[in-house]
Amino acid sequence: MSPLTRLRGPAAEAPPLSLPGAFRVPAGVERGLHSTWVLPALILAVAILVRLWNLDALGYNSDEAVYAGQAAAIAGDPALEPLFPAFRAHPLLFQTIVSLGYYLGDGELFGRLAAVSLGVGTVYLVFALGSVLYGRAVGLVAGLLLALMPYHVVVTRQVLLDGPMVLWATLALYTLARFVQLTRPAWLYATAAALGLAFLTKETSIVLVGAVYAFLALTPGLRIPRRHLAGSVALLSLLITAYPLSLMLAGRTERGGGYLAWQLFRRPNHDWGFYPTVVPVAIGLLVVCGAGLGLWYARRESRWKVTLLLSWIVVPAAFFQLWPVKGFQYLLPIAPSIAVLAALGLVRLGPRSKRLPMTPALIALVAISLLVATWQQIEPSRSDNFLAGSGGLPGGREAGDWMEAHVPKGARIMTIGPSLANVIQYYAHRQANGLAVSPNPHSRNPAYDPVRNPDRLIRDNEIQYLVWDAFSSRRSEFFSERLLRYVDRYHGRAVHSETVPARTPAGRTATKPLIVVYEVRP
Amino acid sequence: MRLGPLTLGCMCALAAAGAVPAVAAGGSDPAPTTPIEHFVVLMQENHSFDNYFGTYPGADGIPRGTCMPIEPARGRRGGCVAPFHLGSRRAQDTPLGNSTRIARRQYNGGRMNGFISAFTAEAGTFEPAVMGYYDDREIPYYWNLANEYVLFDRFFASSAGGTLRNHMFWTAAAPGELEDGGVPRGGFRALQTIFDRLERRGVSWKFYVENYDPRVTYRSGWSGRQRAQLLRVPLLGFPRFVDDPGLSAKIVDLSEYYKDLERGTLPAVAYIAASGSSEHPPGDVKVGQRLVRTLISALTRSAAWRSSAFMWTYDSSGGWYDHVKPPNVEEGRVGLRVPALLVSPFARRGVVDSTHLDFAAIPRFIERNWGLRPLSSRDARAGSLVRSLDFSRPPRAPELLSPARHVIKPPDARRSVIYPIYGAALLITALALAMAVIRSRSPMRAIR
Repeated sequence: MSPLTRLRGPAAEAPPLSLPGAFRVPAGVERGLHSTWVLPALILAVAILVRLWNLDALGYNSDEAVYAGQAAAIAGDPALEPLFPAFRAHPLLFQTIVSLGYYLGDGELFGRLAAVSLGVGTVYLVFALGSVLYGRAVGLVAGLLLALMPYHVVVTRQVLLDGPMVLWATLALYTLARFVQLTRPAWLYATAAALGLAFLTKETSIVLVGAVYAFLALTPGLRIPRRHLAGSVALLSLLITAYPLSLMLAGRTERGGGYLAWQLFRRPNHDWGFYPTVVPVAIGLLVVCGAGLGLWYARRESRWKVTLLLSWIVVPAAFFQLWPVKGFQYLLPIAPSIAVLAALGLVRLGPRSKRLPMTPALIALVAISLLVATWQQIEPSRSDNFLAGSGGLPGGREAGDWMEAHVPKGARIMTIGPSLANVIQYYAHRQANGLAVSPNPHSRNPAYDPVRNPDRLIRDNEIQYLVWDAFSSRRSEFFSERLLRYVDRYHGRAVHSETVPARTPAGRTATKPLIVVYEVRP
Repeated sequence: MRLGPLTLGCMCALAAAGAVPAVAAGGSDPAPTTPIEHFVVLMQENHSFDNYFGTYPGADGIPRGTCMPIEPARGRRGGCVAPFHLGSRRAQDTPLGNSTRIARRQYNGGRMNGFISAFTAEAGTFEPAVMGYYDDREIPYYWNLANEYVLFDRFFASSAGGTLRNHMFWTAAAPGELEDGGVPRGGFRALQTIFDRLERRGVSWKFYVENYDPRVTYRSGWSGRQRAQLLRVPLLGFPRFVDDPGLSAKIVDLSEYYKDLERGTLPAVAYIAASGSSEHPPGDVKVGQRLVRTLISALTRSAAWRSSAFMWTYDSSGGWYDHVKPPNVEEGRVGLRVPALLVSPFARRGVVDSTHLDFAAIPRFIERNWGLRPLSSRDARAGSLVRSLDFSRPPRAPELLSPARHVIKPPDARRSVIYPIYGAALLITALALAMAVIRSRSPMRAIR
């Protein structure tokens, strides 16, 4: 028997056309949500604080540079538009929002502030979701857990699509819960619209439609009139159509299709153990344990609630485990459901009589553990070990800024891989290409251009600078060696470096290069 | 030995403070009268202005309806050849040349209609290729530079014929007393060059030679490759520049140019002579273009850029057609127009300068810039390059121009679909949410 079927709830027994008790809003929730704003406001303040702390200490990483570059292109930024085509790989909802920053003058900071704002919005929605499902106390704790959760904090401090996508996904989760509780079809339409926005932020969120389907399929007591179901599907389809429609009107249909095909058939970038080892730590092991407890206590609650939360966890987790491309931030959509379940477990832990003195201490312990882990993450790192999506790239902005100031306009740069090339392009406003990008169109991200015959390009003086970096070198020793061979062959001269202090085996402190800029000539 | 990134990281920490080494060579030079502290001049070979820029917009190019008579005496009745795009065809089968005799026949008493018949008369061949021209498809980089800097469309070869004669004007503002079109047996002795003037004034200079062979001087002979180096580097025909170690050390291989830029030791005046990249037909024009790009790119990336000017021109028309009748000067008629461009952070942007100039304008600029006496009446009266420079503005930021013809693309208007489409999606969702909230406040009804 699966965990889903073992979970029992009155939803199964609820008559579909009436308003059974199990589907009613828990007593006092509606009133409680509005009774006081002190605690939610405090939680939101904490969420804002940890997301803003040292927000700008490190420059953009590769993905951030690409999305911000697209945003700049949408805004018509003359320096970045030639380097970052607006239509690249994903839909453009978040980039469109970020593009407003380029009209205001500081697109870089605005992008991260936009990500933070939407992340804090998700914290509020988790509070609301927990409240409507299991009561105000669970809502408050769930909001607090997400506010401090390193996984969510780290991702929503970056200009990535996943943070905003999770906002819309959580909105869909909340509206779906409201639909089940209130049986108002308008909430179902709102769910469809929220899912549409999630898709328009990042197309992989389409998997959440599967989560909705799984929930509906596993909740037979919930019957939806066909016309409303069809209407919701039509609304979702209408919103999803905005993506191909914009590509079609802009004449860029090959962009989206090519990227999807490459994603489907590319070689996996991480092994199967990536998510099980990385994500629980990022969420917080105590939170994961709390979610386990929450599952236990959820058996006493209406079954549809836990079915809804589990659908939102199991379906994306299974999908991304099978998806060849794995990324640190890809499983973020499961974080709100885990936070709610963990909050339920923490609030309900212990016998009813001892709950009051025990619960606050336990919650405080988990919150502090999250805060410590988060604090470590948001302190600016100067390490040469970098996991994509886990934060800003040390030294990248500084190297790019140096090149902007010292490298002639029109210079072309070659890096080891495309990741640093994106960062250099964004900050230096110079064309940069990754040596590691395959010339075989079937083996590369179609958004990237390969460097065909680097020897000839350097000999013909079409590439003038080579940039070595420790992060790419760690990932691809082969291409790192190749790049350094070009440095040797073409009178390479180191003209700039970004370094970190490092300890030698003898115990001394030395400088270790993160990024080295070489000038080459034929 | 290769320096690993770790070692280089430490080096860079030191280098980062200054980033690019300061220019040292010019440090002891007398102060110039303009902000130009480094003047670099390259002499390429054998192309006329119309051959390279005859179709350049805004320049005095090939007149509409031009058709060169095959037999000038019969005019167009005897057939004619209209200018045509050479494309990737090279003139490898064309014995185009720049001898004085051919030049005289092409000039044809000022009628400028002997460009084809000159070759028929001299070599007995029909050479329609003389009317061919290149454009931005073959020399896109040159055209890009012309767009950004200064192109001269009244720059004439100083002499109507002869490689050495024109190179002499370049270095000495005088033709020199040649023997059989070459260096006299005992070398040039009394003739003063611009480098003598620079040396006396204490202004640094170097003569960079592509594929330089220091064994080749006027004493070593006058044939084959040796002859080519002697023609391109007239200083090797002067005993004092060959024998004086202090002077001969300043005639160096072109690789030194890049090292000097890296070390910050670029001299105040640098002459450059190419060999394999000289664009001399039937050589590929793209090879020469690549050399020019490499030279300018290295200068642009150096600390010298902010106070430099780079000029290059061509020693003669090479037999190619040019429609402008050359003027007379005191020694006689000058040669046909040749391409000449000036690249500098102070250069006026995209200007076609129609000042009457010839190679003597180059020593003249050096003399004026460093306070030297003129070498001859030719340079004393030569036109000025300074008009093409604007010192009232700060130097332009360095920019590497594309080797491909750059087309100014209008902003991508198609991105304008993004705001309405995504804005509509947000609006629809906001309406759906608002509707749900409003409906929730009304009395509950069961789903029908």
